[in-house]
Amino acid sequence: MNVLLNPELWSSALTLAIPIAFAALGGVFSERAGVVNIALEGKMLIGAFAAVAFASLFHSAWIGLIAAILAGALTAMLFAWATVYLRADHIIAGLAIDILAAGLTGFLFNSIYGQMGTPSDTPSLPIWHVPLLRDIPVLGPVLGHHEALVYLFFLVLGVSNWVLFRTPIGLRWRAVGEYPRAADAAGVPVLRVKFWAVVAAGAVAGLGGADLSIGILNSFSPGMTTGRGFIALAAVIFGAWRPWGSFLAALLFGFATSLSFQLQGTAAISKNILLMLPYIVTILALTGFVGRTTAPAADGQPYDPER
Amino acid sequence: MKRIVMVFALAAVVMGMASAAFALKVGLVTDTGGLNDRSFNQMAYQGLQQAEKQLGVDISVVQSKAQGDYVPNLTRFAQQKYDLVIAVGFLMHDAVEQVSKEFPDTKFLLIDSEVTDRANVTNALFSEQQAGYLVGALAGMIEADSSVNLPGLKHNDTIGVVGGMQIPPVDRYIAGYYQGAKAQDPAINIILGYTGNFDDPASGKSLAQAQHSKGADIIFQVAGGTGLGVIQAAKDGGYYAIGVDVDQAYLAPAHVLTSAEKRVDVAVFDTIKNVKNGDFKAGTQIFDLQNDGVGVGAILDGVPASMKAKIEQIMADIKSGKIQVSDKIPQ
Repeated sequence: MNVLLNPELWSSALTLAIPIAFAALGGVFSERAGVVNIALEGKMLIGAFAAVAFASLFHSAWIGLIAAILAGALTAMLFAWATVYLRADHIIAGLAIDILAAGLTGFLFNSIYGQMGTPSDTPSLPIWHVPLLRDIPVLGPVLGHHEALVYLFFLVLGVSNWVLFRTPIGLRWRAVGEYPRAADAAGVPVLRVKFWAVVAAGAVAGLGGADLSIGILNSFSPGMTTGRGFIALAAVIFGAWRPWGSFLAALLFGFATSLSFQLQGTAAISKNILLMLPYIVTILALTGFVGRTTAPAADGQPYDPER
Repeated sequence: MKRIVMVFALAAVVMGMASAAFALKVGLVTDTGGLNDRSFNQMAYQGLQQAEKQLGVDISVVQSKAQGDYVPNLTRFAQQKYDLVIAVGFLMHDAVEQVSKEFPDTKFLLIDSEVTDRANVTNALFSEQQAGYLVGALAGMIEADSSVNLPGLKHNDTIGVVGGMQIPPVDRYIAGYYQGAKAQDPAINIILGYTGNFDDPASGKSLAQAQHSKGADIIFQVAGGTGLGVIQAAKDGGYYAIGVDVDQAYLAPAHVLTSAEKRVDVAVFDTIKNVKNGDFKAGTQIFDLQNDGVGVGAILDGVPASMKAKIEQIMADIKSGKIQVSDKIPQ
């Protein structure tokens, strides 16, 4: 199994995992407050487009990053308003956002950039060669040289985990997703918590999109998320609605994809089977675990303070 | 005198109106890759625009977002009595078959696939394998000659190719690539991979990096939008990509070795011209090196002039029939 010794396999697993991991983190934020978030794909796409548009406009990848966060958050506000205050069905509203995002980004891409696509001098995020990490004997090449957003992800992951499980804010957040009636009785502003949880989810999903467009690449192509937002949902479930869990699930998917790319052309396995690998892994993980992890009790249920 | 002038003026106005009424209406329906795939669909559109400018036809374009859009998009043009409807792509075969039957008075051009037995359909097939052979030959020559000193080239005798979906036009390019490379360097190792899609540049970059990690310093992208990631990988990693369908050197000037060109714009323009001249012929036209239907883009500066000359020679040999290129990937 020489392929397992190739550092590119592991490095690529991490690179491919991060966009999904960001979106999955958004899924965790949202579902912990009781809002099912099918709109992650749409928010990623809008984030990806905003990142490139502003990065090329201001010749700064960091401005693009901020634009992605804001774009994701703004889109999420629309989704949050519909699901939290208007009590729309979460799935239908989510799909609406996905369709809106695909159409909007496609339209803007054609109108602004036309045939030649986004400018080839769009700046992308810098690659960081982290001093201590890169010197670790075997893992150095795998962990030490990634673009900035990969490392920033772990910062966001750590903060999220701490907030969600070790602060009063996090407690109220999770209470709203488990038993909103009790949280309301205890004085928690349920609707406001749900709203901002979804906005936070949108911001992080936007970061995931930015990772694709100005992290890994430096361009936008219509539909470039190719379903990663939906895989992120599977990662949320597999990860038991915990930040670290969903990251590991995303990493598993990234690893399966990376493995399929490494094996193609050299292993004797049919490429069709190899291309199915990440999805088979996802299905196996879900069927093996979906019975054992439990969603927040009030997940998917709009909350009506009057009733 | 006044009367004669008036008659002439009237005749001129009538003729002007008549020619406006007779201006050809040509519609183009893209496949899901969209107009901005920077290769295939874009080239068809360029041919269309050229026809608008040089032949004075009225043009219209519809982009398909999903495979279910093909039939409605084609039907709409036919219902609006367009003279020629152009369907861009192998994936549109069934849609053209269906719509051309419902609208026998509308003419159709299908690119990259064949609908036979219809008097109102003409097909444009390309000999992608010839273009693939030429770029493969260049890659093989470079790998075999260790005196070629391009930065980042390690002469591992390994090259790669990243395919999008596994459809016949993609495989024809790859077939030519294999034969061209092996003819120059029989010991060469070629790594083949597909991402399974045409719109995912992040995966294209990842697959290219995987191939590079196994020794490939030259990677041919046959993957439309996904392939843009391959070129990005070459740019970021300091190795070389080969573009497809159009000259893609502008995407990464120091890292695109050359491109395998498919002159879809020529096919579109020629067919519109034929329709305008009343010369529409149903059936299939093959576009290959001989009629300038395929070709090779500009070759990177650091490549020795002797190799560029050799490519010209190989091109002449294929045209004359001295070299036959099969459209099947050698096993």
